[in-house]
Amino acid sequence: MQKKGSQVSKKIAISITIVLILIATAALPLVVKKDSTINLAILVFLYVTLSSSWNILGGYAGQTNLGHAAFFGLGALTTRLLWLSGRPFILSLLAGACVAVGFALLIGIPAFKLRGVYFSIGTLALAQILYITVGNVFPMITSLPTQALITYQLVPRYYLALVLALLTIGTAYLLVNSRLGLGMMAVREEEDAAESLGVSALQHKLLALSASAFFAGLAGGAFAYYHVGYYPQFPFTPVWTFDAVMIAYIGGTGTIVGPIIGGIFYVVVKELLALKLVELHLIVFGVLFILAVLFLPGGLVEVWSKIQTAFARRARGQEAQAALPRDTGI
Amino acid sequence: MHVMLVQSLVFGILVGALYGLAAVGLSLVFGVTKLLNVAHGELLMFGGYATFWIFTLYGVDPFLALPVTMIFLILIGVIVYGLLFARMVKLSEETKIQNTLLVGFGLSLILQNLALRLWTADDRGVTTAYSGWAFTLLGVRFPIVRVASLGIALAALGALHLFLQKTYTGKAIRATAEDWEAASLMGIDIHRIYLLAFVLGTAMAGIAGALVSVGYSIEPNMGLEWTLIALIVMVLGGLGSIMGTFVGGIVLGVTQALTSCFIGGTYREVVGLLIFLLVLIFRPQGLFGAKER
Amino acid sequence: MLKLERINAAYKDLQVLWDVSIEVNEGELVTLVGPNGAGKTTTLKVISGLLKPTSGSISFQGRSLRKESAHKIVELGISQVPEGGKIFTGMSVLENLELGAFVARARQDKDRTLKWVYEIFPRLEERKNQRAGTLSGGERQMLAIGRALMSKPKLLLLDEPSFGLAPILVDQIFDMITEINRQGVTVLLVEQNVRAALELAHRAYVIENGRIVGQGAGEDLLSFESVRRAYLG
Ligand SMILES: Nc1ncnc2c1ncn2[C@@H]1O[C@H](COP(=O)(O)OP(=O)(O)O)[C@@H](O)[C@H]1O
Ligand SMILES: [Mg+2]
Repeated sequence: MQKKGSQVSKKIAISITIVLILIATAALPLVVKKDSTINLAILVFLYVTLSSSWNILGGYAGQTNLGHAAFFGLGALTTRLLWLSGRPFILSLLAGACVAVGFALLIGIPAFKLRGVYFSIGTLALAQILYITVGNVFPMITSLPTQALITYQLVPRYYLALVLALLTIGTAYLLVNSRLGLGMMAVREEEDAAESLGVSALQHKLLALSASAFFAGLAGGAFAYYHVGYYPQFPFTPVWTFDAVMIAYIGGTGTIVGPIIGGIFYVVVKELLALKLVELHLIVFGVLFILAVLFLPGGLVEVWSKIQTAFARRARGQEAQAALPRDTGI
Repeated sequence: MHVMLVQSLVFGILVGALYGLAAVGLSLVFGVTKLLNVAHGELLMFGGYATFWIFTLYGVDPFLALPVTMIFLILIGVIVYGLLFARMVKLSEETKIQNTLLVGFGLSLILQNLALRLWTADDRGVTTAYSGWAFTLLGVRFPIVRVASLGIALAALGALHLFLQKTYTGKAIRATAEDWEAASLMGIDIHRIYLLAFVLGTAMAGIAGALVSVGYSIEPNMGLEWTLIALIVMVLGGLGSIMGTFVGGIVLGVTQALTSCFIGGTYREVVGLLIFLLVLIFRPQGLFGAKER
Repeated sequence: MLKLERINAAYKDLQVLWDVSIEVNEGELVTLVGPNGAGKTTTLKVISGLLKPTSGSISFQGRSLRKESAHKIVELGISQVPEGGKIFTGMSVLENLELGAFVARARQDKDRTLKWVYEIFPRLEERKNQRAGTLSGGERQMLAIGRALMSKPKLLLLDEPSFGLAPILVDQIFDMITEINRQGVTVLLVEQNVRAALELAHRAYVIENGRIVGQGAGEDLLSFESVRRAYLG
């Protein structure tokens, strides 16, 4: 009884926390007027979206995709081209995500012939091909036209990034708690065993890849909407992949909160370091990432839950002690 | 037209020798330890910067400085292996390769940004008094520095080949690559062999980097491109054969040169990557990781 | 010479050996027999240091092997012919033999030992420059044994040297093992070919499900009731 009760109260606590966070993030631009803070928040949302989308395939389906920047880049490229040629932004954004998914499906079947590390270096090579080709085809910087520059506002960008982050997290949550999600995780644990249980490994991997590409494409679209001027090649740089992977690992792969915590941690620490040690933050993150892979496969999420269980154990210990005299009294 | 074609073929061969040298180190480490070190390109880059430093700070000729560069890279290799990779050699094959991949990327990020801090983002190169010299044969230009680099690459590969074939330690390395358990039953300390193979790999990368800094140029972002080059050549040349790797390097160099000639220089890298992908997809097992029949 | 006392060993969480005690005296030819999956190979792995026991003691010539690594154990004078031979197929026969003499103690006498091995296995000398991968099954087993002898072992561990060989070859291999033992090398022979092994050995242990269930002189065990029933039919 008591256990059930505490579980219900835990659920309520979590729900309240989520609602509070939602209200806080939704209200932020109304309260805070400093552009730098808004920019920071947009960055967090972008990274959370990108890393969560990587996590669907990399964390849950266990396929370490090292070409994630390709999806982000395709989303950015398509959205930017359509939007700047006068199409409505929302349609351009969706088109960008669809192109990313289309590319994912195109490469999916041959890419999934490769297993494990071969898949990783294969996707890395693919993304590099796109990176170089886009640089060749679109060598000029893309800038917002003067008209758009005059009317440029940060707040809609903020809400777009927020909505995308929520959408990605929400979808990932629903997906991994569905039958399909269970199938994905079965594929991650033991591909052959999953197959023998009737789970089609290829189908589940393709689904995870498409979902992953879709949200990465959306994130790319938001990037295209947000940035005033950049080289079209830039969103294709492997850095976007590595950032997504590092954030997921530092936060905790294969969890919903991992990329969120990792994303916040990444941006905040980056800002803090930028104040003192310019350009050193990537070295710090490289070290943290290695430490996470070597010593903390569960990431920050695991640290948190370890601390929690340690506290819970202590609390329970005290409770039990407090309960003792009463028990003997009856 | 003919002369131009031959000229680019010659340049392709000259750069291809360096590709082969870069790949041999990666392939040796992978073959013996089953660690895929994706920071190999960054180690190569450090070989280049070491040469650059020795040259600019002390005025030492880059070719004469090669032994120092090698020793520097061996030291880096010992540190990197001892701190990071030694922990992973004992893991099961699948986890090992996955973890080394991730750790390798973390490491490349660190090394890349370290280079950025130490030497800025500028392209660097070693320009000696004889850097511009070249001889012409039937209208085809042979830059002295790059021809010398080809000679050094061949000498280094030859020396490595002899070492692996003729010495007791070399045979122990080959035995460990084939079957570490059987090797340890011979009384071979396989962890020392792993370290040795890793360090030989970084030394080879160091030489390659030094030659790149002399004949071409280096910058902090070059690592990934060179890691990919080494991977492509490793796939082309097959694992475990130094000669094969060298030929693979030449093939890639020539293919790139022909691409530059007929399609455009900006697609040089793309062609190599495409070949790599095709080979991966159509012959995934025959290439690397495959057991000896 | 070799003494295992109450050895327990496991692969990850799966315990395979339970309180295994085995003793081999200098000059003996001892055999360890038992059905497939009983733990014979695992026992040899524990002796040669490839697998560390979870508990129990193991000593060789009075010296504990618990903390020694595999390569050190070879230096001390224990050499193992692993299951299936595990020769280096990509290398030449001669290179395989040279690798057998890798430890410093053996390397000094390499040429003399090589002559000795060629005397026992003349076939290896004929094929010395061939790639080991091209050898036939019987030749591979000879190479594996020859390679182990190259380290000048005091104790030779053999893991099913007769496996997969034609009957004539099995007799040949067993004759050679007897000969090697007669020349002063102590032998611990693991076999599923129970009758042949028991006829050959001075003493024998029977292992089942990771436990030693019987021991005695080879001849005695031939009449051992459960052994008869299980292996000799
Ligand atoms: N590497 C391993 N990992 C897990 N279990 C193993 C391993 N090797 C052997 N086993 C198990 O240990 C038991 C004993 O194996 P083994 O010693 O090879 O038996 P034998 O040599 O007598 O046939 C078997 O049940 C086998 O399945
Ligand atoms: Mg066995």
